[in-house]
Amino acid sequence: MRKTLSFLLALVMLLSLAACGGGNTPNNNAPQGGSQDNNNGSNQPSGGAQYYNTYLGTDPTSMDISRISDTYSTAIVTNVMEGLVRLGEENGDYVMMPGDAQTWDLSDDGTVWTFHLGDNKWSDGEPVTAEQYVYSLKRSIDPETGCPNDNFLSPIKGYNEIRNNGADPDTLAVEALDEKTLQITLAYPMASFLEMCSNSIYFPLRQDKIEEYGEKYGTEPEYTIFNGPYAMTEWVHNSSITLTKNPHYWDAANVQIETVHYSILGDSSTVYNAYDTGDLDYVSTSEAEWMDKYLSDPDNNDYNQIPSQTLAYSFYNTKDELFQNANIRKAFTLAMDRAELNEMCFSGANIPTFGWINTTISVGSTNFREYAGDTIQEMIDELTAQGKTPKDLLIQGMEELGLGSDPSTLTVTFSLAGTDDWFRTYGEYLQQSYQSTLGINMEISFNDWAIFYDDVQNGNYQIAYMAWGAYYNDPYDMLSLFHTNNDAIMTGWSNAEYDKLVTEALGVQDEAKRIEMYKQAEDILLREECAVCPVLTFVSNYFYRPYVTGYSTLTFGSTGLKGMSTGARP
Amino acid sequence: MAKYIVKRVLAMLLTLFVVVSLTFFLVHAIPGDPLASMAKALPQQTREAYYARYGLDKPVFEQYVLYMKNLLRLDLGSSLKFAGRSVGGTIASTAPISGLVGGIALLIGTAVGVLLGILAALNKGKWPDQVIRVVAILGTTIPVFVLISLFQLFFAVKMGWLPSSGWGKPIHLVMPVMVMCIGTIATYSRYVRTSMLETLDQDYVLTARAKGLSEFKIVTRHVLRNSLMPAVTIFVSSMVGIFTGAFITEQMFSIPGIGFYYITSINQRDYTMVMGTTVFYAVLFIVMQMVLDIIYTLIDPRIRVAGGK
Repeated sequence: MRKTLSFLLALVMLLSLAACGGGNTPNNNAPQGGSQDNNNGSNQPSGGAQYYNTYLGTDPTSMDISRISDTYSTAIVTNVMEGLVRLGEENGDYVMMPGDAQTWDLSDDGTVWTFHLGDNKWSDGEPVTAEQYVYSLKRSIDPETGCPNDNFLSPIKGYNEIRNNGADPDTLAVEALDEKTLQITLAYPMASFLEMCSNSIYFPLRQDKIEEYGEKYGTEPEYTIFNGPYAMTEWVHNSSITLTKNPHYWDAANVQIETVHYSILGDSSTVYNAYDTGDLDYVSTSEAEWMDKYLSDPDNNDYNQIPSQTLAYSFYNTKDELFQNANIRKAFTLAMDRAELNEMCFSGANIPTFGWINTTISVGSTNFREYAGDTIQEMIDELTAQGKTPKDLLIQGMEELGLGSDPSTLTVTFSLAGTDDWFRTYGEYLQQSYQSTLGINMEISFNDWAIFYDDVQNGNYQIAYMAWGAYYNDPYDMLSLFHTNNDAIMTGWSNAEYDKLVTEALGVQDEAKRIEMYKQAEDILLREECAVCPVLTFVSNYFYRPYVTGYSTLTFGSTGLKGMSTGARP
Repeated sequence: MAKYIVKRVLAMLLTLFVVVSLTFFLVHAIPGDPLASMAKALPQQTREAYYARYGLDKPVFEQYVLYMKNLLRLDLGSSLKFAGRSVGGTIASTAPISGLVGGIALLIGTAVGVLLGILAALNKGKWPDQVIRVVAILGTTIPVFVLISLFQLFFAVKMGWLPSSGWGKPIHLVMPVMVMCIGTIATYSRYVRTSMLETLDQDYVLTARAKGLSEFKIVTRHVLRNSLMPAVTIFVSSMVGIFTGAFITEQMFSIPGIGFYYITSINQRDYTMVMGTTVFYAVLFIVMQMVLDIIYTLIDPRIRVAGGK
């Protein structure tokens, strides 16, 4: 049971629990509330009581949008705050719905976004203004605030100067033209900027309240103010959170559920028991035993299987004396049997992945993986066609480094961010499979997250394993992690051509051209340099009680509670 | 007696000082960055601002002096992990909840445990003794998360009598108290049984019997009082324990107690929270220890404070 907890911690963004959804859901044909042309959800089943009981795995850290980076806080914030635009869903695809901004224009050169705000109000009845957006963005970029997410502001003009050269946060190019008009100037054109705007860091903040509550802002409902479909009315830390419909919300007519109760449940068996007793209307599981149980009773459990945006991968320390060599890195990437690993360590629940961009990401309407192919599988096939094995690549690399040609003289340390049973199994699997395919000696270093993280940041590792969840639907989100300026994954790898491709592609409006540039960049990352070893994409399995409708089925983020209804509740 | 108490209080303060100092340096010596729990590489500037805000940029000794100064003003600082939440406030709001659940469980568990212990001792070797022994073994050996899962499955899922988890209504107390009782009952029944059997073998019991006292009087007047000594010892130390919360029980029942902070703050390198909970525990423990010594002098005539007479 504690396995679950540390697993979550280590994989950071893995299970987005209540807030997440997505994918192909044949049985979900419920109407989506919240769209402009959806009149008060009139085609929703009605009559039943409108309350929804769900859960979170861990207590959110804060409700202060400038100071959060965890999935749990984001899951709540999405529902209690409104941004310029709101993620919506139409026929299984995501769309950007009007939020605080009812309309927006983009300048011809693609850099100046002008947002025209509507009549939304805060939970105390005060109007939402452009100035509140300006205040919020500048507060987030101010190093004093300690915002862990401020790289989402990087497309905005002035970001680099403030971030890297200590310029005044006030120079960020965000401006309130009048009370209801917000202008954001970008440093370069960015096709997917609107998607980025649905991220919580782009939400507005009330300067008066933040100054009034000081450090306490966001710690309790009474020290926080909301402008979203819901307001948080109770927060018993580590126990429960209650959201109540916000009557001041501009689109309150399209908010069906009156009260939402989140239990904070850190233990999976408690979650199943609570779902079974009817205390929860929703459960997420990846355990075969529980999957079978709920699948065998489809009348009471609506099933959704959704590939997540989270990719598990190993990465190499390219400053290491061994892993500085690309052929050696390739040997380790190609030697991995992803299907077998999925069976052995994940009961076959996830999707083996052969590229850095996982299977769910698209450019426009073109799925990136379908366009770019299964790069690593192709590399394996090419190698086999030459009559070689990954071990030959390893020996080639060793010879290039003058390390002889006997892999059994090598001892490689693989670092894992976890110490529980699951990580032991995973470590043993890696050890055994690498020893047999490459003939090396492998040691596994198990550490808790804080130590692992320290080691990786300080370059004190050889290979390590982690997972990363993409935030928005554009390959840039994942590819930018390997840009020289980005130190999120400390491989020490840097490639000028790669940096150029990734940065330039961002501004290319022509989708065919953009996807090709991204493919070239990924080819440098994998085919040529192999700085990373993608392993698999996590899959989430959700069950809802049949009276719950309108839930998000998106892979990216979540449409949240706004379009949901429990009107069919018996 | 007054002199004795003054001496004890001074010793307490010294102990506390040593505990706090040791913990401070040990916690800061654990490898790992408190900002790691953000799971993201923070830009250098932000990292520095963060460190400056919590004083982590200063040399460890300077941080220590600062911490001690704040501690004298009863200021435990604010959490590194939960932005803006004060450590003192967190302890003040969570410890009473753990204390309530743990306290009720301790009282019920002790009462039942002592009774069962007496019953077992008086029926040594007969069936009640055997049954109680089995219960005691089960109570101490079944891991608590297994017990909780079974209880939830039976009382909530199958029978529908109790909510499976949650907090806020008296009924939410029932299952956690039941779970936490079981361990206490097991411990107390074993202790009391053993010590009771020992006492029953004492010469003065034989004398009492020889004098023709009734068995009831012997047990209540002579045996019981002397057999409860070990029970008092463990009772006082368990009283400290209830305020530290039962991490697994609290987590599995969604009880907003303090247990969570004891465990997770260490993994997350939430220095101020680790320090705060440790100081809290140390103070409780030391004070309780003194209370224990005073209780001893009251119930055991063999223990007398030097110069107390």
